[in-house]
Amino acid sequence: MTSHTFSRRKLVQALTAFVLMPLSLCAHAMKVDELIRHIDDLWRGETSQATMSMAVKTQRYERSMTLESWSSGKKASLVVIREPVKDRGVATLKVDDNIWNYLPKINRVTKVPSSMMSGSWMGSHFTNDDLVKDSTFADDYSSTITFDGVRDGQKIYEITSVAKLDAAVVWGKVVNVVDQKTLAPTVARYYDEEDKLIRTLRFDEVKQIGERFVPMRMRLQPEDKPDESTVITYEDIRFGVPIEDSFFSLQSLQRKR
Amino acid sequence: MSTSTSGDSTRTTGGSRLPTLIFMAWRNIWRNPARSGLTVAALAGSLVLLLLYLGLVAGMTRQMVDHATDLALGHMQLHRQAFVDDQDLYATLPWNTLKELETAFPDLSMAPRLYASALASAGDASNGVLIKAVDPQREPRVTRLLEEVREGTSDLGPAPPTDAGLPRHHVLIGAQLARNMNITPGAELILVTQAADASIGNALYQVAGVLKPIDPAFDRQGVLMSIGAFQSLMVMDQGFHELSFKLKDVSQLDAVQAAVAAKVQALTAAQPLDKLGGPPLLRNWRQIAPALADMISMYDGVVWVIGLIVVALAALGMVNTMIMAIHERTREFGVLRAIGMDKRWLLVMVLIESLLLALISAVLGVVAALVLIKGLLKDGIDLSASMPDGFDMVGIVIDPVMPMQLEPMHVIYAALLVIAITMIAALLPSWRVMRVKPAESMR
Repeated sequence: MTSHTFSRRKLVQALTAFVLMPLSLCAHAMKVDELIRHIDDLWRGETSQATMSMAVKTQRYERSMTLESWSSGKKASLVVIREPVKDRGVATLKVDDNIWNYLPKINRVTKVPSSMMSGSWMGSHFTNDDLVKDSTFADDYSSTITFDGVRDGQKIYEITSVAKLDAAVVWGKVVNVVDQKTLAPTVARYYDEEDKLIRTLRFDEVKQIGERFVPMRMRLQPEDKPDESTVITYEDIRFGVPIEDSFFSLQSLQRKR
Repeated sequence: MSTSTSGDSTRTTGGSRLPTLIFMAWRNIWRNPARSGLTVAALAGSLVLLLLYLGLVAGMTRQMVDHATDLALGHMQLHRQAFVDDQDLYATLPWNTLKELETAFPDLSMAPRLYASALASAGDASNGVLIKAVDPQREPRVTRLLEEVREGTSDLGPAPPTDAGLPRHHVLIGAQLARNMNITPGAELILVTQAADASIGNALYQVAGVLKPIDPAFDRQGVLMSIGAFQSLMVMDQGFHELSFKLKDVSQLDAVQAAVAAKVQALTAAQPLDKLGGPPLLRNWRQIAPALADMISMYDGVVWVIGLIVVALAALGMVNTMIMAIHERTREFGVLRAIGMDKRWLLVMVLIESLLLALISAVLGVVAALVLIKGLLKDGIDLSASMPDGFDMVGIVIDPVMPMQLEPMHVIYAALLVIAITMIAALLPSWRVMRVKPAESMR
């Protein structure tokens, strides 16, 4: 009898777990979705305006620039070089999948063809594609939380996003590490299709802007060139700035010099 | 017994018998002119085919080497290792290297070049391009690059400024690039690139001309400008990426290469180069285009293998002729044996018949091939109707007109090959005359 009761209790337990399991899975899945959406939208916001400096260090040169940027969701953005003087007024406009450059010295606008998307953007380690990409982790990758706990004294989530089979994305896998308290990203590692680490993006100097915590500095490190890096530091970033859609046009590209 | 006596007499009087045997062999050949004629035609035909093939391959090989060396590569090239490995913009050799080398080797022609990648725009079209910068004075002494203009001129000097007074330079572009971007001479071209000082290099150009297809990569992506225009776009004047050499006498290539390499090494020792660019590297055209060199040597082998097969097939006709000729004349051989002809002399006579057929075929074949190649095909085989731009082979563009070139040694080798194979083919059937038994064959 006792054994029977015991097994019955076990059965109830098992059944309860069985019934509850999808719920807990669901909660976890929701958390991943939320985190992913948070990462996708962190710098994009509805609209944003920022001033930043970019320091590029390669084996051959070190160079720093001051840039001013405007963006509207993931659809459009405009970046204008303020310094150095030699490149002042050079502007990059992104609308949907297209990139144009405005060159004040020759007063011409040129379109960057899709074949040049993997080329360096403004001599940095970022590519044109980094600028244009409207791929999101939510749409183009399937993500799972692969670590949830304390690492290096910090409570973090590690989210591994693997490119969906039919997604037209550059990376095979991206691993994002997010601080649990602020939900600000700390590291993003980019892998190719062969699962080889290609570059690491590190974030720090987290600052609260409105509701969100935004890292003000990011450092991109290509794995094959350990001596080289590109550091972008936001001097100022504001979200929800009113910008009209017509702002992101070829006409305003030339006016922005 | 009788055989041995006859053998002895043969040995003593053999010398005087040879003309008789040749005479008999000659007469024997023409006892059946149709059969002999067909055999000769087949053998001569195979020789003509072989010579045409040799002529075509030699002509094409020569054309490919000329194309490669006269149009783009030169006979030798000097680079820095890092430029060869990954087109490192900063892997340059200092300008005084050129000056020193020109002083040390006055017999060599040298042309410096610079390369960079850029984004070109014209109207709504834009395309990634490869800029090649040449010295308009020195380049023509090494290659015919600047003569290969299909449309427009080869002017690489300053172009008229825009209406707003912005300065422009002339450039030449590849034919495929011109088609893809829909550009004709006179059009404005914008180039944007990352200059050597990491600033954004951008300038306006005017397309002076469109180049003929020379090498496929340049045809699709090439923009040719003067070194002066390059230096102002790229903000770099510390040196050049490539130095191309032309020798007066190509047969001295190895010796000259060694001498120049030694001089470059001495210069590098006196004036050390930066580490990142790697050591200087001097290579001849075979080392620069190993695929081309390999293909040329492979061709040589393949031609002879195919030639052997063609001739061997024709020689099968010879086997048949000899089998028939010997079979028909079994009785006659019996008589000859019976009246005291040594069987070895019989064999010699039959082999002389084969040799005469082979010689006639060789002479006729060579004459026919010469008439064809020197006469009908002296301008080469023209495929320009179906391929106006020629075609691309291991990265070298081949002219649509394929020239024929007959090397004297090739003719001799081919004729000897025909004779040798014919004789080998004739040997087996001829051997049967040794086994002719006079009594049986005359019955």
